[in-house]
Amino acid sequence: MKVDKTIGAVGLGLLLGAGIAGYATAQTANPLLVTPQSQFKPMPMPAIEKPAQAFKTAEEHYKYLLKQANGGTKHTQATIPDWSGLWTSGANSMTATFLVSTNEGALMSPGGTVREGILTPAYEKQFKARRAEIGKLGQQKFDRLTRCEFPGAARWLWEPYVKEFANTPTQTWMLNDFMNETRRVYIGSEHVNIDAKHSATGDSIGFWDKDKLIVWTQWINPADYTRGMPLTSNQLQMVETWQLRHGDKGAKQLTAQVTYYDPLSLVKPISLVYLQEYRPDLEKIGVRIRNWECATSSNDFIDAEGNTSVRLPGDPEYKDPRGSTDYPDLPGQDLDPIFDPGK
Amino acid sequence: MMKKLTFRAAVLVAAGAIGVAGVAAAHHSFAMFDQSKHVLVVGKVTSWNYNNPHSWLMVEAPDETGKMQTWSFEGAAPVHATRQGVTGETFKKGDAVRVVMSPIRDGRRAGGICFALKADGTVAQPYDGTCKMPAVYEKWKAAGWLDGGKNLETHPGIE
Repeated sequence: MKVDKTIGAVGLGLLLGAGIAGYATAQTANPLLVTPQSQFKPMPMPAIEKPAQAFKTAEEHYKYLLKQANGGTKHTQATIPDWSGLWTSGANSMTATFLVSTNEGALMSPGGTVREGILTPAYEKQFKARRAEIGKLGQQKFDRLTRCEFPGAARWLWEPYVKEFANTPTQTWMLNDFMNETRRVYIGSEHVNIDAKHSATGDSIGFWDKDKLIVWTQWINPADYTRGMPLTSNQLQMVETWQLRHGDKGAKQLTAQVTYYDPLSLVKPISLVYLQEYRPDLEKIGVRIRNWECATSSNDFIDAEGNTSVRLPGDPEYKDPRGSTDYPDLPGQDLDPIFDPGK
Repeated sequence: MMKKLTFRAAVLVAAGAIGVAGVAAAHHSFAMFDQSKHVLVVGKVTSWNYNNPHSWLMVEAPDETGKMQTWSFEGAAPVHATRQGVTGETFKKGDAVRVVMSPIRDGRRAGGICFALKADGTVAQPYDGTCKMPAVYEKWKAAGWLDGGKNLETHPGIE
């Protein structure tokens, strides 16, 4: 594509007048720039492991696996698998499950057609409308997470932020820095819901089968698999099998084989595979999970036309994440003492 | 298709059909930014909000009339920006910067940041889901449009 140019003298003068000429000719290599490939050769995505037989419910599936594991392996802190370290999301089979597409980038971008017969008619219709919107606008107009909603159990598996896994004999904690969202898996327990309500991450119970962690999650808020993908209903339940795999030169990968049960949104249960990649390079450059300040620092909102928009400095409802607390007259109430010590 | 670049104050609009953005790893859609355009804003840093859910770079720069105004540029969450070589110390108050961004569609002084050239010649890339980055940066770099920043005002647009 050719583009011709008209550069006005006034504008050029302003540019020169900005007084920032004299840039160095070389672009400095940034030692912080990291990619998974800089650390390891990426491990291939394993094949999807469907259940050994068709189960009508997640409960049937989970209890079958528990029986196969003879009630599960009783680990101690000394024997439990060590999944410590920093992790980020890797490849998954989501796009290929819901779209006829060879382009994984079509997850949130135009491309691919809706794979029919996976979703129930109402959910398929909604998904087609979502994909049509993406095709027209380049992206989905609005993502519910913009309201600072939590991703939820299904989307947790994909969200590409920093994750940590802590295994104990009685609980496994799956932590994502995104929205401080933590999944807790209660080992050897029954489902409990004294709150009598659903939540973003639901209620997860699990057991160990040697080095595999099997998880059953239910009571999950209606949500989605991620932006650009289908919605899930409040009847969604998940059975996951997690396992650590080792690759070359210290590479490690956590594989989650997941079967979704959702009679309201799925014609029949579907099985997907998700990867989490070990990222010691992030530890090396000093990445640590910080508190996610969405409620106090996000200025994004949905406008009257349903579009994503943002409040800017000067707007009445703008929240300054580096401003001050409700007590600006007191010393030490500024939120930005490092960047702007004099403020 | 031919497009004309019009220079307005310190804002250089290099309009081109860059198609759609890559997968945004963000907590919101980037449909609010017009990713068919790249705009250059030249100014000085007033604030660098290296925060979740998104980083924001605030720059004082002239508007169409030459009046100094606050411009706001949205970037990636810290975890993603860090992987792209950016930290909370990348920008200091008063730093002279040339910011290439995709403008917000409603015409306000804001956009999704592509990259920013600093006075020391380094290029910071805190982008998130905009500008078809990092491919665009690599293309501009390979074409010599970024050398010393001297060709930034006259680059021939984006395919």
